[in-house]
Amino acid sequence: MIEIDQNPIEVDVLVVGGGIGGLMAAINAAKNGARVIVAEKANTKRSGSGATGNDHFTCYIPEVHGPDINLIAKELMNSLLGSYQDISMVITFLEQSFDRVKDWHSWGINMKPHGFWEFTGHAYPGRPRIFLKYEGYNQKEVLTEQAKKHGVRIENHTPITELIVENGEVVGAIGINIKNEKPLVKLFRAKSIILTTGTANRLYPPISPGWIFNTAFCPSNTGSGRAMAYRAGAKLINMELPNTHAGPKYLARCGKATWIGVYKDPHGKPVGPFVEKPSKELGDITADVWNSVFTDYHKSGKGPVYIDCTEISEEDLQYMLWGLRHEGNTAMLNYMDEEGIDLRRHMVEFMKYEPNLIGSRGIEIDTNAETNIRGLYAAGDEVGNFRADIAGAAAFGWIAGKSAAERAKGLRGFHDAENNELVKERITLYTELTKRTKGPSWKEANLALQQIMNDYAGITVRSETLLKAGLKYLRDLKKKVLTTIMAENSHNLMRSLEVIDLIDCGEIIFLTALERKETRGLHVRSDFPFTNPLLQDKFLTIRQEKGHIKLEWRDRK
Amino acid sequence: MPPIINKEKCNSCGICAEICPTDVFKFVGKKEPPEIKYPEECWHCNACVLDCKQSAISLRIPLPQMMLYVETKKK
Repeated sequence: MIEIDQNPIEVDVLVVGGGIGGLMAAINAAKNGARVIVAEKANTKRSGSGATGNDHFTCYIPEVHGPDINLIAKELMNSLLGSYQDISMVITFLEQSFDRVKDWHSWGINMKPHGFWEFTGHAYPGRPRIFLKYEGYNQKEVLTEQAKKHGVRIENHTPITELIVENGEVVGAIGINIKNEKPLVKLFRAKSIILTTGTANRLYPPISPGWIFNTAFCPSNTGSGRAMAYRAGAKLINMELPNTHAGPKYLARCGKATWIGVYKDPHGKPVGPFVEKPSKELGDITADVWNSVFTDYHKSGKGPVYIDCTEISEEDLQYMLWGLRHEGNTAMLNYMDEEGIDLRRHMVEFMKYEPNLIGSRGIEIDTNAETNIRGLYAAGDEVGNFRADIAGAAAFGWIAGKSAAERAKGLRGFHDAENNELVKERITLYTELTKRTKGPSWKEANLALQQIMNDYAGITVRSETLLKAGLKYLRDLKKKVLTTIMAENSHNLMRSLEVIDLIDCGEIIFLTALERKETRGLHVRSDFPFTNPLLQDKFLTIRQEKGHIKLEWRDRK
Repeated sequence: MPPIINKEKCNSCGICAEICPTDVFKFVGKKEPPEIKYPEECWHCNACVLDCKQSAISLRIPLPQMMLYVETKKK
């Protein structure tokens, strides 16, 4: 049997994942008097999509933007962050965003690198700018220090793999310490749990065939929070609405708005209408608005599309390179230096990346960050009815930390979570995986999942017949994976469980995509080719109740 | 395959193995450099390069991830 630490760990607030949202949640839960553990798959100093930095933070600063918060809310929903959001969540976020900026600045993340509140990137001409430029290269280290300073216990190399829920209330979780070759199961009793596991990547084929870890967002983020929450009965929302990012080809990187240039066709003609002479204040926002521009040009034979930075001033070029460093793109900058790629004379080709799950596709929370399961909270990129990327993670992580701590204060004892039947069931599964001496690896399972997602729930075409067939194939695959996959050590056990979580996310995408009988954004239904105005302000939720799947529509809040 | 450890410079402290977001390295003790056990799982985030106090690590971007570029058209 897999080794189990027989002493359950008792904690007021368990935070699942130590990214931006998780660390902010942990700090504020501790500030509000809770004993807090962050269980992190890697190491909080360098984990997740914010691992090596970020350089823009969505926020509302009244002294810059004026008194009308609604104007900025509207701008946010018109930006690449999109409109699949509850307005109440957007307003709550904006109201608190400047406080989080000030916190970060006082802790040592430079939010005012040029001495004033500077808003650049992802900007439309003549409209308010909502992305604060900052020096985020050290953000994970600073937040880790702050968490420790507040007495937060950090359990690195310990992914949480399952939630334990009794009578609609979360009571604990299963984790696996993967530090050594042999995995060690850890059991947690908790009064509140906050899920902050980030985006879900590795669901669809990557831009380089078979090269699974060439992703813009962190490839260790595999939708585990969404999958665990769903298995525990929590509501997920907007899961059928695909998101794609874009950036340099073929080195998948975030940070397209940090580039200052104009997207051009091979003849040097701009492809979008927004800007001809770019500057740091106003780059080319075409790719935010016309999400498929790179693919459209390519397919029509008019491509490729490049970013041309050659017409910007030397000062703006240095500003862009500085931004890319803080955005965490030092590997790309080093590579460009080594290869002699000089943005003063070269244009770099851009492309659309594969779909992933980011904010606005995930767990439904309220403005206190609570889910429909008592004691279960979520924040960051895995929230389904809100999206503001890193800034959203900071603000809602903070909110989740306070809510979780307050709940814990009101509860006396702990449940014996470790005695729940689910623990026995999951330990049996983990044991089987590690005991098998033959069978497919997680990698085979991951590739098999990606091809089904691409062919039957992709972003080119979806239809009832394709989705139904794909769902059947995916369930066949799931059965095979659960009964045959092998993981000879703790690393491969972690990867195998990631793939099982991804398969669950995939299944949810199929179920919800079948239910949304219209075309909207990248959810293209050939059997319902129009966008139905009646669904404009409606969101689709999915949850499990006593083994039954419940799909429900609700109004935007 | 990425990353590459310069064994002359590496002092086997294990920081790279500790902080890697994708668990690419295997720490094999303080006497020898970590093993790069899962090179295909490298995200090329540069965390190991940035955090190595000995400046002993470099990344090699694999061929499938090469960046594509051209000379700009002169107006």
